[in-house]
Amino acid sequence: MFTDSTLLFVALSGIFAFSFYAVLVAGQLSLGQAGFAALAAYTSAVLAPDPAEAGDAVTLAVALGTGVVVGAVAAVLLGLPTMRLRGVFLAIATLGFAEAVRILLVNAEWTGGAQGMSVPKIVTPGVAWVLLAVVAYLFWRQGPTRYGRALAAIREDELAARATGIDVGAHRLAAFVTAGAVSGAYGALLAFTMRFIDPGLFDFASAIDGLVMAVVGGSTVWFGPVLGGAFLTLVPELQRAVGLEAGWIRPFLAGLLLLAVILFRPGGLASFFPAGRGTRPLSRVQASGARGDTAADDGPGAPGGSGADTNPAGANLAGTVQASVQPHRRRAQVGAGDVVARLAGVSKDYGGVHALRGVDLELRAGEIVGLIGPNGAGKTTCVNILSGLVPPSGGAVEVLGIDPVRTPVHRVAAAGVARTFQHAKLFGRLSVLDNVLAGAHLVTRGTFLRRLLWLPSARWDERAAVVHATACLERVGIADKAGLAAGELSYGDQRRVEIARALAADPALLILDEPAAGMNRVEAAALGDLITSLASDGLTILLIEHDVGLVMRTCDRITVLDFGAVIASGDPAHVRDHPDVVTAYLGTEAD
Amino acid sequence: MRRTAPLSLAMIALLGLSACGSGDTGAGGSLQGEGSGADCTIPGPVPVGAALSLTGAAGSYGESQRNGLELAAAHLNEQGGVTYELTVEDDQTDERQGITLFEQFTDDGVSAIIGPTLSTTAFQAQPIAQDAGVPVVAISNTADGITEQGEYIHRVSLTEGQVIPQTVAAVTESEDLENVVVMYSDDDAFTESGYEVFAQALEDEGVEVAETLTFSVADTDFRPLLTEAAKAEPDAVIVSALIEAAIPLVTQAREIGLDVPIVGGNGFNNPQLMTDAGEAAEGVVVGAAWNSAATQNELNTDFLAAYEAEYGKAPDQFAAQAYTGLMTIDAAVRAECSGEPEAIKDGLGTIDGLDTVLGSLTINDARDAEHEAVVQVVTDGEFVALD
Repeated sequence: MFTDSTLLFVALSGIFAFSFYAVLVAGQLSLGQAGFAALAAYTSAVLAPDPAEAGDAVTLAVALGTGVVVGAVAAVLLGLPTMRLRGVFLAIATLGFAEAVRILLVNAEWTGGAQGMSVPKIVTPGVAWVLLAVVAYLFWRQGPTRYGRALAAIREDELAARATGIDVGAHRLAAFVTAGAVSGAYGALLAFTMRFIDPGLFDFASAIDGLVMAVVGGSTVWFGPVLGGAFLTLVPELQRAVGLEAGWIRPFLAGLLLLAVILFRPGGLASFFPAGRGTRPLSRVQASGARGDTAADDGPGAPGGSGADTNPAGANLAGTVQASVQPHRRRAQVGAGDVVARLAGVSKDYGGVHALRGVDLELRAGEIVGLIGPNGAGKTTCVNILSGLVPPSGGAVEVLGIDPVRTPVHRVAAAGVARTFQHAKLFGRLSVLDNVLAGAHLVTRGTFLRRLLWLPSARWDERAAVVHATACLERVGIADKAGLAAGELSYGDQRRVEIARALAADPALLILDEPAAGMNRVEAAALGDLITSLASDGLTILLIEHDVGLVMRTCDRITVLDFGAVIASGDPAHVRDHPDVVTAYLGTEAD
Repeated sequence: MRRTAPLSLAMIALLGLSACGSGDTGAGGSLQGEGSGADCTIPGPVPVGAALSLTGAAGSYGESQRNGLELAAAHLNEQGGVTYELTVEDDQTDERQGITLFEQFTDDGVSAIIGPTLSTTAFQAQPIAQDAGVPVVAISNTADGITEQGEYIHRVSLTEGQVIPQTVAAVTESEDLENVVVMYSDDDAFTESGYEVFAQALEDEGVEVAETLTFSVADTDFRPLLTEAAKAEPDAVIVSALIEAAIPLVTQAREIGLDVPIVGGNGFNNPQLMTDAGEAAEGVVVGAAWNSAATQNELNTDFLAAYEAEYGKAPDQFAAQAYTGLMTIDAAVRAECSGEPEAIKDGLGTIDGLDTVLGSLTINDARDAEHEAVVQVVTDGEFVALD
């Protein structure tokens, strides 16, 4: 029913859609692919030898190589200045690039200008489908790897990804260059398919077509672009095949179909298929091998708690988990009693607001330090300065031997700082397990290239990472929910996943920003036990919490902030009885 | 028009069993006829495919073309002897669809193909017919090189290279041109190639070009350019632009007091010019392959009447060229009295002085059409032949 060229165009569309998928998986909206494809098409058409002399295979190889290189190089050059842009701003910048390329091609001599240039046709449906398969293979293998998860994490929550230790800039650029290379391959193929290329082939509408194909197919599942490309290419063919009257009705129906897919299948056509849903959790039997008893144990009947089979109540054998399963790299441990982090005279002003005023704070290895104070006292600002998210206005900061002011967030994380956020920042559409695996970014090895080659070591590494992540989930008592999407969990469970994700990085300093918010008393008590057990493993913990009871029970030392200044610091008993604290925070005895 | 330019070609295809051409078709009998010329009788209908841009950017041209083709098919089938099975398909002004359609037509074994509407698509799709040995008749492609793609590719549409020199010569004589300003959009294949022909024709006529100004196909504000043009005090302004730019350009030229004749290429050849530019369009000179009033012969009169009766409006040049396309194929079929692709191809080569609605039409050795162009000037809101 379909002609050769229909098959050919389905494959080409799929490849082009993949170039959009390449960046959409990392949460980037780029329309520059048309420009990359145009540059690649013209360059390869000029550089590739005449197939009549060199043979089709040689011409095709040279053209493809040229296209991929040109596309990738153009993406690097465009990516370096634009990778800081987000969302629609990136879309506009890349669109501007594509338009500039089009204008250049229209006005250049060697391109034949608007009148285009002739190119021999050598691409057959077989060649196109083989290449589509190669591209699809790349993205299929990329998905469940450290690299693939890092991209997904950036897409879901960039800030959390950075705090997890993912170098967001490098990963975004890598995704962008991948898009450039794939669209370059598409451009070269298109040139040697169409017989005749003109700048109109790579105009704004073509970029939109590519984007629509990627989104309609499904921009988070590796085979989505194939479905999207096939869908958009075949709709006119099907309409013709069923003998639908030509004219406005066909584009109208095609538009309606598109609308229906987007409305009822926001995940794209790929969501009709069950495959490709993230990393598979360990089965219960496998998991039991990795399981110690968890510290954050749910009491019976705790709402949102883990299932009854997760573990019996009470036992607290924290440490056995981490001892039994080693991540690939253990982080350098800090000697007991060494200074882990120090704030000296730190202040922070937001305009005229003094969020912090001359705060001194010192954390020593193995300590649990509580940071409390009324709302707006500057606790979260303190944490943000420690983790490198916010530069202080004055004072000195040192964390694990580095200066977070001058260090990118992911390097602060790499030094051993892990944190949770006041409002849980999970990678919502990823599974709980994938969230924690993304958290293990710093302690696992890259597996993408080895997975491409099916090296067994990649599978072992991936499996070890899953075991490690599962252990972290066990430890916070939520391993039975590993397969659920993180965004579907209750608030209390989300906080626990966040802690597991932070633990997965095997940090030296763990900063918990109001971890008990949204938890009931039973859960909060279990959380307290977990925190204590973590500290006994040598982890240093900074705990920000409104549940004063929890802080008093758990912490070795407590620092109290009020209006940005430290009003008391010392052991729990000292702080509890401190008159300023009583007045400013706990209320007066008079009532 | 997003995809380059216009116009041009169509193909007619007759169905048979593809190039290898066994005598019978499943659909309706032999394509090998008896008799010759007007007496030729072919038992089966001759399948002809037409790939036109019925929707998308070039949709307005495609509609006229389809009307012209269907009218021609109706006339031919009424006349008898040889009947045609015309299949009109929409390429949605998309090159890929054009390629697919050509492939589908050749796979289905049509005897000839008409189209596609746009020159760009023609470059991409016609080689498929060439490779399959199916003759093509282009009905609206004006770009150079269309028929150079192979011996099976023909056209009945005049190229800009044929129309523009005639236009320039006529205007030079009637207006005593000495000094002109040339304006064109440089990012469109059609208008750019039109400009090149204009420039050559002006040089040949010895007309001096005071200034050459360029703009983009999408531009709508020409006042700065026109002001600059006015400074050169030209005898005429020569413009190669599509109709979308032509209308504001002409309107704004009159606004700023630039009242010299404006000479346009084929892009101006559209009644919309008078509808939308109104008074300002008066005096605009446009070369064309056909004008409803200019070609005075019986065929043309009948065509006008039949088209009006069928579609309730006057035909434009695209309808006339499409009508001619199928009529020319019919002549080729009758020349050998065979509906086989090979015979049609040979027949097309013998077309010499065929009476058509476009006038006396010859297909030359380069497989391009030759007939007299019409130089028109807008007078009282109508295109009339320039005397």
